[in-house]
Amino acid sequence: MADAANFTAIPNLHGTSEETLLVGHLRRIQEHSAGQYAIHVHLSELRPGNRQQNFIRIAARAFEALLANFDATLYVLSNHDLVLFCRDVPVDDVDQAIYKVRALFSEDPLTFGDEGSFEDRFTTWYDLTQKADFRAFMAEAIKMEAEASSRQRIDSEDKSPAASYAMAGTPLDPRNLAAINQRMMEINIADLLRQQTAVTVQADGKGETLFREHYVSMQDLQRRLAPNINLFGNSWLFQYLTETLDRRVLSVVAQFDFESMTDVISLNLNISTVLSREFQVFHRSVGMNARKVVIELQLIDVFADLGMYVFARDQLRDTGYQILIDGLNPVSFQFFNPSLLDADFVKLGWSKEFLGEVPKARVDEVRDQVNITGKNKMVLSRVDSEGAILWGLQAGIHRFQGHYADVIVEKMISKGIVK
Amino acid sequence: MTEPATRLPSQEKLLLDYIHRLDQHKEGRKMVHLHLSALRPFNRREHHICAAAEDFEPFVAALDGQLFILKNADIFFIFKQEVQPSVETVVQQTRYLFSDDPLVLEEDDSDIQFSDWYDVETDYDKILHIVQDLISAASDQNRSFTNQMDTRSALKAKQEKGEPLTPEVLGRVESALTRTDLSNMVRRQYICSLSRRRVPETAFSELFISIADLRETLLPGINLMANRWLFQHLTETLDRRMLSMLSKTDTLTISGDISFNLNVGTLLSQEFQAFDDNITANRRGGMIIELQKVNIFANLGAYLFAREFIQAKGYRVCIDGLSYQSMAVIDRERLGADFVKLIWHSEMMDGGEEIHNHIRTMIRHAGEDRVVLCRVDNREAIDFGQSVGITMFQGRHIEHLIAEDNRRKELMRLKRRMERSSETP
Repeated sequence: MADAANFTAIPNLHGTSEETLLVGHLRRIQEHSAGQYAIHVHLSELRPGNRQQNFIRIAARAFEALLANFDATLYVLSNHDLVLFCRDVPVDDVDQAIYKVRALFSEDPLTFGDEGSFEDRFTTWYDLTQKADFRAFMAEAIKMEAEASSRQRIDSEDKSPAASYAMAGTPLDPRNLAAINQRMMEINIADLLRQQTAVTVQADGKGETLFREHYVSMQDLQRRLAPNINLFGNSWLFQYLTETLDRRVLSVVAQFDFESMTDVISLNLNISTVLSREFQVFHRSVGMNARKVVIELQLIDVFADLGMYVFARDQLRDTGYQILIDGLNPVSFQFFNPSLLDADFVKLGWSKEFLGEVPKARVDEVRDQVNITGKNKMVLSRVDSEGAILWGLQAGIHRFQGHYADVIVEKMISKGIVK
Repeated sequence: MTEPATRLPSQEKLLLDYIHRLDQHKEGRKMVHLHLSALRPFNRREHHICAAAEDFEPFVAALDGQLFILKNADIFFIFKQEVQPSVETVVQQTRYLFSDDPLVLEEDDSDIQFSDWYDVETDYDKILHIVQDLISAASDQNRSFTNQMDTRSALKAKQEKGEPLTPEVLGRVESALTRTDLSNMVRRQYICSLSRRRVPETAFSELFISIADLRETLLPGINLMANRWLFQHLTETLDRRMLSMLSKTDTLTISGDISFNLNVGTLLSQEFQAFDDNITANRRGGMIIELQKVNIFANLGAYLFAREFIQAKGYRVCIDGLSYQSMAVIDRERLGADFVKLIWHSEMMDGGEEIHNHIRTMIRHAGEDRVVLCRVDNREAIDFGQSVGITMFQGRHIEHLIAEDNRRKELMRLKRRMERSSETP
């Protein structure tokens, strides 16, 4: 099982961009700018997860009353920014609409700055009757137009797998699901299995391998399984597919020689898989070496039926396996305290967007949660930079996984300080 | 969290074995069934049940009878008919122990008696039935833990609930759904507060599409819930149908505040926008949108956005489907929900003082006027709920109380009318 990242489709790939229209609008009003002003709402700086098409559409609708009742025009740009032009519109009315949009994203760091303060990155206001403001906004608009057209060009030229993966057309639906599920049972999966090490960084700077996660690369799987279908477009149906994937992975991993294996491995599984016959077969092959296997369970699966989780967890533990809860990130971690789940490990998925954007107070909150959960249980995954590691250490986390953790592990191995 | 029993509780199993063996020795045997499970919780503590059982010990010692104490506290005593008079005396004594309990006090007006007497020879089939029912109820309690994918359970589920839903069937159902009139499958259940004398007062009512009816009409023999994720996908289609029915006021009569279930994905869809455009602003304040907890864990960001979006428009939000275990992890206030729904399960009551205190603390934390105890099937659930501070209830038993209250009001009206007509010469 693996979790799907959030993909945002980029709108208006062909034809005249909204940015071009925006520049045109500015040029038209240049000579008659009396009473004109503009507000640039920087939704492009939201967290990627909040920059979704339907979020932006809903946000844009907050201006509807304004557009209907006043001389106002709204542009929804291809980078998700909004630009509102107003002529003689009472600022209070605009404030009201902006406030609504702000409220929608109240959990996003972009709205954390106080409105109107110089820390506020949410909006920029331009009084277009002022030459300086006009010029500044024109420059900004032209810059955005250029960015939009280069983005458009890249998107249409880039036929690389990564791009097609993110953009892949047809969404998963019940009709194509059956065929894909069938194919999943037939394709070779063993060569898609990858591993990534989770490492414990000790106080003396030395490292120790915690476990090696064995997982199927979703990009590769998608390419082999259904290159034209976006497996991640529908989270429920994707979840259904992972149940089949689990069984395939188990049958491959069951071939490992657990007796002579020196490392601990981890596997992502659904709870239903843990309770299935396939897992029983797998367990026969693991035998007395269950302590060398960590089972990773997704938060969504755990909470879908907590009773089932408790049952599975206890069964796993009784037979010697360790349990890891996956699927949290630094933000959701502040909403749920996983300590009640009594797992052996809890994994937080890092993402760049958390760096520097999580204010000090919130890092403290995370640290409190880390302490409640147990420092020795926490693993920060997807660490891709030194910044991520520093953030983790600041929050009291000493276990890491991800590309950057791999780099560190390699360095440590070459220096002989990894155990 | 208590560890669930995976096998049948042994007393139940022993009783069933005994009844089976009794088939050969029915003559001259009698049975009494004491419904101690119907006592108030505070009368049903372990020492009460032990005290009640103790009185039967002399018969057991003299080999005149066999005693079984079930997990739900019911007592079964099978004895030789020679000792019937002494057994009757003992049952009278036991009854006296609980004379302050409504089970005894209100016995005359109730369907449930303190004790039921049987002649094993003539009532054998009936006895076997009762015992089998009790046992299947006891194992139902653990069903959520044992509905694993092993072949035996899968076969059993298939026999009881039908063939599991597959993607192919789901695809067909979803396209059939767009053409089917679902308005006659919409059910309504009331969420009520209760007065001291258990007179219900409606807070709001939930509208939902009956899955049982849907299955009956569209897919007899298919178990729609066999796979959680496929079912979840189906609910998104049902969401859209529900919205379209709610938009046409002639399809559903709506009075008072209402609630209905939607997925977060639906709230962010064009269909919801169209629905929202169609209803008047003041209706929004009377609508509570229920979100299944799995939606929150599937994508917290989307939940937070959607919640903000609909609350700003005036709708209220209720998180549905919590067990007492999952409620511990859900911080209602932090998640900004107006209400949460806690699903009743007798496990909560059977869990002992420690669990009770834990639940009481959770309710207080969530806000006593913010928690609805749902799937309330019996009075026990209400008693328990009130004992931990819950003030709102929903379920079959509440529907029963509402019907009863309506009957009572109707009688009062009749009585007044009669009085009036007798006053006028």
